[in-house]
Parts: sequence; structure tokens; C-alpha cells
Amino acid sequence: MSTQTSSTIQFPYKRTLGPVISRFFSELTAQRIVGIRSGDRVIVPPMEYDPETGEELAREFVEVGPAGTVVSWTWVAEPGKHHPLDRPFAYALIKLDGADTNLLHVLDAGSEDAVSTGMRVAPRWRDEPVGRIDDIVAFVPGETAEGPAAGEAQDVQTMDFFSTITYTDVLSPTAERYAASMRAGVLKGQRCPQCNRVFLGRGYCSVDAIILGEEHEEALPDFGVVSNYTIVTPTPYPGQKETEPFARASVVLDGDEMVIAQQQIIGIPVSEIRVGMRVKAQWFPEAERDAAEITSKGWGTVAGFIEGWLHTGEPDEPAEQYLNRVF
Amino acid sequence: MGHEPVAVVGIGQTKHKKRRDDLSIAGLVREAAQRALDDAHMTWADIDAVVIGKAPDIFEGVMKPELYLADALGGAGKPVFRVHTAGSVGGSTAIVASHLVSSRVHKRVLAVAWEKQSEGNAQFGLGGGKSGSIGAGGAFAPWIRAYIRKSGAPEHIGWQIAVKDRQNALRNPYAHLQLKDISIDKVRESPMMWDPLHFLESCPSSDGAGAIIVTDKEGGLAAAADGRPPAWVLGTSMRSEPSSFNGRDPIRPQAGVQCAWDVYKQAGITDPRRDIDVAELYVPFSWYEPMWLEGHDIAPVGEGWKMVDRGETAFDGSFPVNPSGGVLSSNPIGASGMLRFLEAALQVRGAAGEHQVDGARVALAQAYGAAAQYFAMWAVGSELPSS
Amino acid sequence: MSNDPRSDTDIAVVSTAYLPAVRREHITETEMLIAVVDEALGKVGLKRSDVGFSCQGSCDYISGGTFSFVPNLDAMGAWPPIHESHVEMDGAWAMYEAFVRMKHGDVEIAVALGSGKSSTGDPAEIYPLELDPYYLAPLGPDPVSLAALQARQLIDSGKTTERELAEIAARSRRDAANNPKQQVRSAETDVDKILAEPYVRTPLRKSDLPPISDGASVVVLATRRRALDLVARPAWIAGIDHRSEVHNPALRDLTDSASTRTAAERAGGIAGVEVAELMAPFTSQEVVLRRALGLGDDVLVNPSGGALTGNPLMATGLVRVAEAAEQILAHGRNRTLAHATSGPLLQQNLVCILEGDN
Repeated sequence: MSTQTSSTIQFPYKRTLGPVISRFFSELTAQRIVGIRSGDRVIVPPMEYDPETGEELAREFVEVGPAGTVVSWTWVAEPGKHHPLDRPFAYALIKLDGADTNLLHVLDAGSEDAVSTGMRVAPRWRDEPVGRIDDIVAFVPGETAEGPAAGEAQDVQTMDFFSTITYTDVLSPTAERYAASMRAGVLKGQRCPQCNRVFLGRGYCSVDAIILGEEHEEALPDFGVVSNYTIVTPTPYPGQKETEPFARASVVLDGDEMVIAQQQIIGIPVSEIRVGMRVKAQWFPEAERDAAEITSKGWGTVAGFIEGWLHTGEPDEPAEQYLNRVF
Repeated sequence: MGHEPVAVVGIGQTKHKKRRDDLSIAGLVREAAQRALDDAHMTWADIDAVVIGKAPDIFEGVMKPELYLADALGGAGKPVFRVHTAGSVGGSTAIVASHLVSSRVHKRVLAVAWEKQSEGNAQFGLGGGKSGSIGAGGAFAPWIRAYIRKSGAPEHIGWQIAVKDRQNALRNPYAHLQLKDISIDKVRESPMMWDPLHFLESCPSSDGAGAIIVTDKEGGLAAAADGRPPAWVLGTSMRSEPSSFNGRDPIRPQAGVQCAWDVYKQAGITDPRRDIDVAELYVPFSWYEPMWLEGHDIAPVGEGWKMVDRGETAFDGSFPVNPSGGVLSSNPIGASGMLRFLEAALQVRGAAGEHQVDGARVALAQAYGAAAQYFAMWAVGSELPSS
Repeated sequence: MSNDPRSDTDIAVVSTAYLPAVRREHITETEMLIAVVDEALGKVGLKRSDVGFSCQGSCDYISGGTFSFVPNLDAMGAWPPIHESHVEMDGAWAMYEAFVRMKHGDVEIAVALGSGKSSTGDPAEIYPLELDPYYLAPLGPDPVSLAALQARQLIDSGKTTERELAEIAARSRRDAANNPKQQVRSAETDVDKILAEPYVRTPLRKSDLPPISDGASVVVLATRRRALDLVARPAWIAGIDHRSEVHNPALRDLTDSASTRTAAERAGGIAGVEVAELMAPFTSQEVVLRRALGLGDDVLVNPSGGALTGNPLMATGLVRVAEAAEQILAHGRNRTLAHATSGPLLQQNLVCILEGDN
């Protein structure tokens, strides 16, 4: 059986708009749609440059629409969570009156039967405009715009864009075996038959580019020596949970064949961490061990299985011995 | 038939800032590209092909943004190409563009590298969108610690570079940081971010773009005849190695050594310390200056910091490094390599203004990325190389 | 060799390999690439150390992680350090970079790779992110909806019919049944039955859409000096070119692909082309591409089954090159065409013309 993994990457991007998009979005907040003149054409939405040549356009804005004609459309019978409406709707290419280009937007027509190429549509305005392309919630059939009475134009300079993507994957056979071993509290590596180097749940040798299988696997010691470290002062960002300085250390496993980088040293203040310190893995209780941090990228990680590394209390090894053991 | 000689005839960059809140993404890249066109006395129509470089798309949340930017860079009807080699990408972008000319596929190529980091958050991006990101500083700090231990360098070396590059930035109106009162004390007393790196030993997060226009021998000679001497490309190279394996030396990566010697060989450089007049090296954290001086055999192993200590890498030193102010003063990640490459070209053209190094005839530029495993370098010169 | 029309600077595809397109590949992307590199180099008796340059094509958003290409570097055996590059584009563009790099004459063997694991994400979630971030992405148009807007315009303008689209689907599926590397191999091939199926997005049915696929592909390039030692009949790259168009599909004539036409002309033209492997993930796009290229009925299109029956994004374009090359390497054809596309509704197009000598 394969283990599913899932991760969601979310971020609230904040876009600055520049003079042209800013003008377009500002006009939207007053229920006006403007295009920009480019030679003989009026381009909607307005662009900073002629898309055919790259030449900067003079900022000659032209009001268009608000009504227009459907040039092409498709019916979305079962909207997904990333669609702008939660009921069936159409995406449409709409040529607004006075424009020479099409606008891609959303058409809320109730049913597919109500949509046809050549039909006339007008905007439905958002109740409280924010200055985004979806201040036009959708176009609707007919000549008349819908929505509240138009207010004063706002000065719109930025745009929020919330991005969220969920990735699901399964563990590779190597990662699966690695995870099973880690759940049982055994750190397992794979030894390359060609160069004799050991890799952690990687599935291949990074030096010789050969696939490593079960027959190349062997248990590794879960204790060793701190060969390097840094103390990180966390910076705040959306999704960041760390607030206090935390340490990340490289641990050379006994036998000197494997360095595990970016490990947490636990049980002592970060200021007492030093090169040469002997440490031992502190495993999570068996029931809490979790393969969620292992991804389709492979590359075995101890995260989710080993909480951190504890000082064993044994005397330190000479720090000079570890000068070349960064990796 | 050898390669076509390549001339850099147009150079442009944005004013780099924490947040270019006056521009869209298209506006940002166009500010740099238009300046390069103006510098080259060209229009959009003169360009045969466009090469775009930037670091991970998650930084701005726009996937393959070269698609959206194609027409912003006059790319309709032309080849538009997107390079991504981690932090070295700005350099790789310049190299890929130069190869389009040296291979005689195209005559005039625009290369633009950019990042608009303020749209998102670099720590978030580098952490893969998760909590507890150690950022680039956290990844490189242990190696810097190892360099310090191995070389026995005194701690003031890092502070000294942090001050030197910020002082150079005061000569460069495009540089993001303009820290008029920078001092050793200020660096030393700034917060410890990634032990042993202080806040002021680290690069900022910037919005910015850099652009170059490369052309063939005929184009380069024509520009020269018009009183606009080009920078001639003397050698280019890219090298990569795996990020981690037992025995890898990330302090002085072999890929960096080989990349440098590949460029030196093409450029006829036998003694880099003597033959190169000025270098723009990718130094996002102060200590990377001596690490790359050693990593590219400009200084003997263990002695890069001594060059720094003797003031040789200062603006008026015998081997100036980062007269532009470097990555420590402006870091729009995807553009940072390009800024190194274009500054080297500015120097040998004698067009660097207040940050012009006297008599710069051969300049080296370098960019690196990921776990110090991707390298891109070029050498440029004031003279057309004899084939 | 007096009749040899080739010069030392000519470059040929000498070997190819790609993984079967599958809904979900259980091994990692790096392991996928190791497998195809092993296969492609092995066919011509080369080792990784013989390769002078390599270029990979992949995409973070499709692979599902920041810097996702970094571990993939290891698939080329990057120690001692290697000369390589990466493009955030389909592997066909990686091959373009390799081709340009080889033009300098100092690299005799190069490898281009493409890889992706589309299975990890939902295209409807991911693909809007490649659109104009201000005017298009916030509206969330998924790739199928966009393709449907294009298909309707094709139908409304009389350039195709739903029946013709169903015929393209049926032909592709019949071809796929003979190609074990395609993913959709046992689907309905009766046109009337296909036409009786419901729409996913009017006027497109499931039969008009590609599957979601994982995959990896590789081609090996060699200069003339090496190519003739490696294979009896190399697939010479007669020309390769790529062109972009305006980004916003609403500003383009979606029933044409001017950039494909330009790229084909610059790559040497379609005269004499016997087989064309077109990256048309939607049936309607095959119509656009055929018309834009002016391919006659005598040209065999997508005998592999095409992107419609196996679509490992970031590798799909390079699979087209591999298939077009194999038509020469293994099937004795003389002149073939490979096409790759990127961006919304065929924004960016690459054409490679391959030739075999007799």
C-alpha cells in the first residue's frame, strides 16, 4: 500500500499595479470600463504597451461598454472551488461596445440554454468595489448593467491575490520502505555499490546516478557528533509559526559516513550548542511518527520521526576533527 | 569557423528598491529593458529574440511568467526563452543570450532577469511555503562558520566587507541600500540573524530587473565606431554539481573552481589575480567574498580573507570586488546574477559612472545558486578578442 | 562519403527514450529521469561521462515544490561537476538550448530532458497561475474552459465540426492502442458513440481533452562527427525554431497559430514532411495546428497517439521530438516534423524538422 502525502501552499500576494492597470481598476470602482488607444485600436483591458510591438502606449484612455457582445463562450456546469461563481456559469469572450479587442470574463446567465454567440451582455457590479477585475462579478444577459448606484472612483494602487494550491502525492517505494523503518525507530541508509557512499532514503546515488534498492539498505547509527550549526532568528511571514531563535545543526553519524543537515538540537539552550558535541536522536513516540514531511522529491528526512537530537552527556570530540564534515 | 564574437552594446537596470510600488511586473522588466534599448540606440523592433530569467515562480505567484511578459518585452512573433538555474539564473540568462549570438542563430538578443520580491516573501518562498524557513542565510551560515574555522580568519573580515559594499553602493544610484552612515560598529552591533551572520552582513530583499543587449561582431564594431564602445565577451561557463553527498566540499565547490577555469582558459587568463582588473562576485552574505576569491583561484586557499584585510578588494584597491555595491546592497534574486554580469560590462566599457574602476579592461562576473552548486560566470573585456 | 550532404557542424538526434505516460508515477522525478537517461544512452552505448552538455526542462508549479529541478540534476551524474542548464519550459526548449550550445562545436554529445508529475496537483488550480496576474488569473479560467472558447470559435467560423473533433479523438485513441507508452489506450473509438457522450465544457467532451499524466523524456544529440559512429541513420535536425505570440488569448485570433507557421518556415518548411508529431493536447488544437502549418492529408499526424492520449507536461513536447526522430531512426522515414507548445491556447510554439539521409 502506498502512503498518500498532501500539502497546501498558500500565500496572500500583494501586487502593485503601475499606472495603467491602476487606472483601469480605479475606474471599475466607479462602474466605468476604460480601454487604451493603440493606433487605430482600443484595447480592453488597457495595457502599458502595444502587445504586438512592445511600444509604450500614450495614456489615452477611452471609456467603453459597459454592454457588449459575446464572441465565444463555454458552459461550466460544475464549478470548482477555484471558479469565480459557485453556480453554473459561462466563461465568455466579450467584445465591449467601443472596444476592438475581446475581454475574457464570466457570464452569469442561469442556464446554458440562455447563452449564445452574438448575445448582448452587460456587467453586474460588485456591491462594494475593491478595484479588481472581479469588481465586475459577472456579465449578465441584456443591455443594462446591474448593481448598486455608482460611487466615486477610488484610487486603486494594489491588488490582493490569495493563492492556494494543494499537492497530493504518494511515497516512492524507497521512501515507503524508509518511512516504515523510521516508524519502527530504525534509521536506514542506502549504500551505493559503486562509490560506497551512503544516502538517506533517496533511491539513487547522487554521485553515480544509479538506482539504489532494498538490497543496498542498511541500518545506520542514530547517534553522532555535531559538526556544524547555525542559530536562526526567525523572520515573520504568512504561515511562519516560529518566533524565538532556533538552532539548526549538522550531525555526523558515528562511522563518519553520513551527515544529516538542518537538525534541531533539543534539551539545551541554543547558546550551548557547539561543534564536537555528542548527540543522540530523540525519536517521537511510535504512535506520533509521521511520514508527512517525506515528499515525492524523495530524499529521506528525519522530520516527523525524530524530534531532535539530545546531548548524550559524553565528553565532546575535538572540534578540529569536523572541519571538513560539513556534508 | 569559430564562434561569432559577442558584444554587449546595451545595458539597463531599474532603481532597485524594497518595493517598487509604482510599477506592475511588466513595468519593472520594461524599465530595465527600455534603458538597455536606449543605451544600444535600438528599438523593440531591432530585437531578434528575448531571454528571460528569474528565480522560483512562487516568489510572485506567477507560473512561467515569461508567458505573461512575452509581449511586455516586445516578444510577439519572436523567440522568448525562460532560464531557471536557481540563484545563478541572472548570469545563466546572460550566457544563454550570448550563445544565441555566438552560435550565429540571432544577431541581436535582449536578456532580462528580474524579481519582484515584494509581491510575496522570499523566506516563505525559500521555505517551500512552510513555517520555520531557515532562508538562504540559515543554509549558508554553517558553511561560513566552517570557512572561518578552516581559514582562521578574524571576525572583522565579514564586517569590513559589509561596510565596503555598502560604501560602494553609495556611488551607484541604482543600488537599493543607500546606507550613508554604515560603519564597522553598526554591522557588529546589528542583530545576529543566522549566527555567525549579522543582519548587516546579509543582503536585502529587493524589487528589480537588469537587462542587456548582446550583438555580433559587426554590431559591436558599429557601436564602437559610434563612440559607444561595447563590452566584448571573452569567455562564458556554467557548471553544476549535486547538492549533497558524503565528501562534498560546499565551502569551495569544485563546480565553482571548474567554471572559473573554463572561463579563464577561453579568455586567455592565466593568473586571475593579475589578469583581471575588477570582479563582480555574487556575495549575498559578507563572507562569500573571501570564499569566492579562493573558490575561483583568485587567492590561494585560506588566504582570500587576507586580500580583504589588506584592502585589496576595496574600491581603490588593487583588485576591486563589487564596485556596484553587490548583492549585499541590492538583491532582486533572479536579477542579482544579471546585475553582476552587466556591471562587469559597464566597467570595461568605462560607463560605470561614479563606481567606475580606473583602467578596467578585463572584468569577471559570477553568480551561484541553490546549495552553492550552480555556477555561471563570464569574463568581458574592452578589446575585441583575437580569435 | 562524397555524397554526404552533412557538415561537421550538423547535429542529429541519435537516441531517445521516454517513460510510459501514467496517471500517477510512484517513483520520484529524479528516479524517472535516471531511468530514461540510462535507456537513451544505453541504446547507443554512451555513458554519462560522454555527455558534454545537458539541459533539463521542468516546472516548479507542476512538480509541486520550490527548486524542484535541483535534485533532478543528479540524474545526469553531476559529479565531477557537469556543464548543464535548466529551463522552466518543456523539454523541447531544453533541446533547443542544447542545440544552440552544440552549434559552438566544442560539445559533441548533448542530452535534453523533460519531466513532470502533473498527478500531484489539480490543473484547474495550477494553470490559472500562468495567466496575466492582474486581468486573467483572478478569474480562475481553467485550461479546459480556455480550450473550449477556442474550439467554439473554430466551429463558429466553419473551420471544424464536433464530428471532426470526435474523429481526431478516435484516430488518436486507435493509434494509442498500438503504443504501450500512451495512457488512454482502450477508450471509445466509435465516432457516433463519442458524439453521444456529454460535454465537459461545451463544445468539448472528455474525448477532446488530454489525460493528466506523469512522465519523463530524453533525447540524445550528437554532432556529425559522432552521430555516424553511433547510429546508421541519424535524425538530422534540419531546423529548429520557436516563436511566441501575444499572451492574452482574448487578444489573439484563436483559430490560427501564426507563431507555429513562422517557426516551421524558419525551421526549413514543411515540404516533404511525411509525419508530424504535433503537441495538441486538445483535439481542436490539432485542427488549428494542421491549418496553420498547411499540412495536407498525405501527412501522417500523431501516429504515436499524441498528447491527447498521454500528456506528461514538461515532457510532452520532447516526446513529440522523440517520436518524430524515431520515425527516422527506426522506421525509415526521410523527413518528419515535431511541434511543442507552451502557454495558454498555443501561445508559444516550437517546430523542429528532422531528416534522414539515404
